[in-house]
Amino acid sequence: MKVRWPLVVRRTHKWLALLVGVQVVIWTLTGFYMVAVHIDIIHGDHLVRAPQAAPFDLDEVVPASRVIAAAPGTSEVRLQRLFGQPVWRAQTGEGARLFDARTGHPLPPLDETQIRAQARRIFTGDAPIVSARLLTEVPAEIKTYAPPLWQVEFEGWNRPTLYLSPTTGELMSRRHQLWRVFDFAWMLHIMDYEERTNVNNPLLRVATWTALAMIATGAWLLIWAFPRRRRKKKA
Amino acid sequence: MKRIRFSPLLFRRIHKWMGLILGIQFVIWALSGSVMALLDMEKVGGHSSSAADAPALHTTGYAPLASLASTADVTGVTLRNLGSRPIYEVRSGAEVRLFDAETGAPVTIDAAAARRIATQANDARITRAQLLPEPNLESRDFSGPVWRIDFADEENNSAYVSADTGRFLIMRGDTWRTWDFFWMLHNMDYLNRTSFNHPLIVFVAFGTLWISGTGFYLLFKSFSRADFRWLRRRRRSAARS
Repeated sequence: MKVRWPLVVRRTHKWLALLVGVQVVIWTLTGFYMVAVHIDIIHGDHLVRAPQAAPFDLDEVVPASRVIAAAPGTSEVRLQRLFGQPVWRAQTGEGARLFDARTGHPLPPLDETQIRAQARRIFTGDAPIVSARLLTEVPAEIKTYAPPLWQVEFEGWNRPTLYLSPTTGELMSRRHQLWRVFDFAWMLHIMDYEERTNVNNPLLRVATWTALAMIATGAWLLIWAFPRRRRKKKA
Repeated sequence: MKRIRFSPLLFRRIHKWMGLILGIQFVIWALSGSVMALLDMEKVGGHSSSAADAPALHTTGYAPLASLASTADVTGVTLRNLGSRPIYEVRSGAEVRLFDAETGAPVTIDAAAARRIATQANDARITRAQLLPEPNLESRDFSGPVWRIDFADEENNSAYVSADTGRFLIMRGDTWRTWDFFWMLHNMDYLNRTSFNHPLIVFVAFGTLWISGTGFYLLFKSFSRADFRWLRRRRRSAARS
């Protein structure tokens, strides 16, 4: 029996498309969103400004050993600034701690007023702060960070949100509506509806190879899709 | 002028012609996506080492900061362990210098130091240490000069160590290299492999929306009740038995 290839390929294309068609539409839509909105905007680079690097007067800074003695288990000490003042930042196993770099005294965690002021310094816009909350449980959008964290939300359609460390006042992360849409699109794109991180999940593997077969048979069909025009007059 | 009729024929034509123009990339997207889903993300890696297991600093015996050479316009100081010795990492604007934190002597990251740092992340035999003035494709996420340390292990791993700061940057193996080739095909940035927001991909992605959109519409036009007769027949025979 002679195989009628156009028919076989068309049927395969059609039935595979019935299986994965919805997901292929989702892939092209989410893919288009991810390429159309620049990743720097998604990351929120435009929302924050880098801390300014003013030179330190090293003569007025207490030795780092004072800080290490006060914070046992410190693996790294850094000289940086908080509200323009020099501070030592000690990285310990239990997180970071700040010390006044001129006196060596430990600095208490930042209060709400300081956090709001710090968020204002970092944020590039001039929209007012809608809320500032100290979170003891981190929301899903920053699940890789450890609590406690200050969440400072600004007004605007984009809902810019800064996450600051209560002990150091450092910017830990920033989120906004376009990021949240991207994250949702990414979830749909990799078909990991729980954690949104596993790009090896079985559902994705089956769907991608099925889609490849569907799209490849579609490409194959192109051979017969453009019949050469018959010359009507001469026939 | 002929009026456009929104008939299945029109959608079929769009489907066909967009398929002819952009079909190759659509196949490549499906193929590269399939391969990336198959490659074990743990082996692909790309996770930098965490600072959690960094050794603790001892409390005394550090040279005073003001005694270090070239301490004008210092905008940042970090004290940490590099291998078994503590060092000061002193930043002046974009420039970074390292000093031995006990003696105050300048420290440079030479091949031996880079090998020692890389060994902490991989204990396989080192076959080569190479200084790159600029990051290559494999260490493109970083800036400044880097040491590339090659290992004789199954994955042909290469460790990248910053020649400025001595920090371990990243490990790249053969699984990552395979993954990165398909990632390049996926993001269509054939030179730098980093951007997926360039005009070419936006244009092609927009066109591909038309293939998938019209195709989805045509699904409703391509199936008739007859196509599903086998299903009903099977159900009936199942009910009978």
